[in-house]
Amino acid sequence: MKIVTIGTALLLTFLLSGCGATTTIDEYRPTTKIMELNSEESVVILGRRDAGHYDTDREFISCVTNKMEGADIQVLPEQQFVDSIYPWFEPRTAPKGLKRLKRLMKDQAIKNQVKRQKIRYLVWLDGSTQTHDKGGSISCAIGPGGGGCFGFAQWEKSSAYEAIVWDLTDLTEKGRLRVDSTGTSYMVGVVAPIPLLTPVKNDACNSLGTQLKQFFSVENNQE
Amino acid sequence: MPTTKTTFFSALSGLLALLFITGCSSSAQVQVQAQFPTVVSEPKPVNAAIVFTDEFKTYIAKPTKNITIDLGAAQTSLLSNAFSGLFNEIEFVSSADQVSLANALVIIPSVQEVQVSTPSETYLNVYEVWIKYNLDIQSASGEAIDSWFMPAYGKTPDSFMLSKSNAIQDAAIIALRDAGAKLLLDFYRIPSVYNWLVQSQKQEAQQ
Repeated sequence: MKIVTIGTALLLTFLLSGCGATTTIDEYRPTTKIMELNSEESVVILGRRDAGHYDTDREFISCVTNKMEGADIQVLPEQQFVDSIYPWFEPRTAPKGLKRLKRLMKDQAIKNQVKRQKIRYLVWLDGSTQTHDKGGSISCAIGPGGGGCFGFAQWEKSSAYEAIVWDLTDLTEKGRLRVDSTGTSYMVGVVAPIPLLTPVKNDACNSLGTQLKQFFSVENNQE
Repeated sequence: MPTTKTTFFSALSGLLALLFITGCSSSAQVQVQAQFPTVVSEPKPVNAAIVFTDEFKTYIAKPTKNITIDLGAAQTSLLSNAFSGLFNEIEFVSSADQVSLANALVIIPSVQEVQVSTPSETYLNVYEVWIKYNLDIQSASGEAIDSWFMPAYGKTPDSFMLSKSNAIQDAAIIALRDAGAKLLLDFYRIPSVYNWLVQSQKQEAQQ
């Protein structure tokens, strides 16, 4: 009996420790100067969509947006901004660098739209979450006497996202953040399938959102 | 009692089979309905007449035998909006002989081809739509200036929880938006259009 209890405890510890994601954040800021943002100004978080093999998913962007809004930072919805300045932030036309942004902002009509909406900072999010290293197998069957699943499957997920902050007032880059998160999820089939999922993307979003919030909250704390 | 049970199971099996078959249905009739945002652009002092033929306005693409996409209304709305961002004076007509603007560029858009790719064909988790437009550009006197090929591309971010029709519609809307972006970005970069513009400005200055 004691052996079974110890075995179960060990198995649970193993499974639960396996469900934690490992997340690393790299931050780069050219200066330690605070990023000013008054109560009327807002931030736009945009996803990069020009890569052929992936799109920065909207779910991740809204997750980061929610994190920022929680800190009383006004965030303009991505689609609202893209529509208001159509077609200059479509996948084909969106500026990839500051040089192109500066050229774009020379256009008075575009500049007026940015001014009208009081957008101070633009945050580009670029990245994706991918599943790899799938292993094991699980099979389920159903018959007249009942049904059940048996087996064990595992897979690894990794999220890699980069955030670049541009200041639309002086058209400079204010900082970069990179988050890498990995974790393994399991599915154990013991009559019923028991999923033990690692929230890799959610962890990446929480870490990135919290760190990004600090970029802007410095000024708020000092006010 | 056993008869009732058998009938119940038969009905359930039938329903399940119907559900699976409908779920796997590979045909899609798509009506693209979208409101496109107004373009942010300073039009150039150029006159233009855009010829939207009836065929263009009611265009229905048939990229595969199982898929039809009704693009006519959406592409007319999108291109009307995009052209308005390019030219100061603009008129929309149904045929080239209705053009009344003086010294105008006459542009006749047409669709060359529409292609669709689905996850079942590409094993990618996205739906993609390509629309290949052709713009016949003429002077008001009917002299051909250029025939410009304008491809546009759109894809869905993923195919998760999207029905085939909705996914193709989403991809088509993105492709139409891309067409508007391409037009605004590149139209005045077409060498023959640029040359026509320089020449017509010279002629105006001489008069």
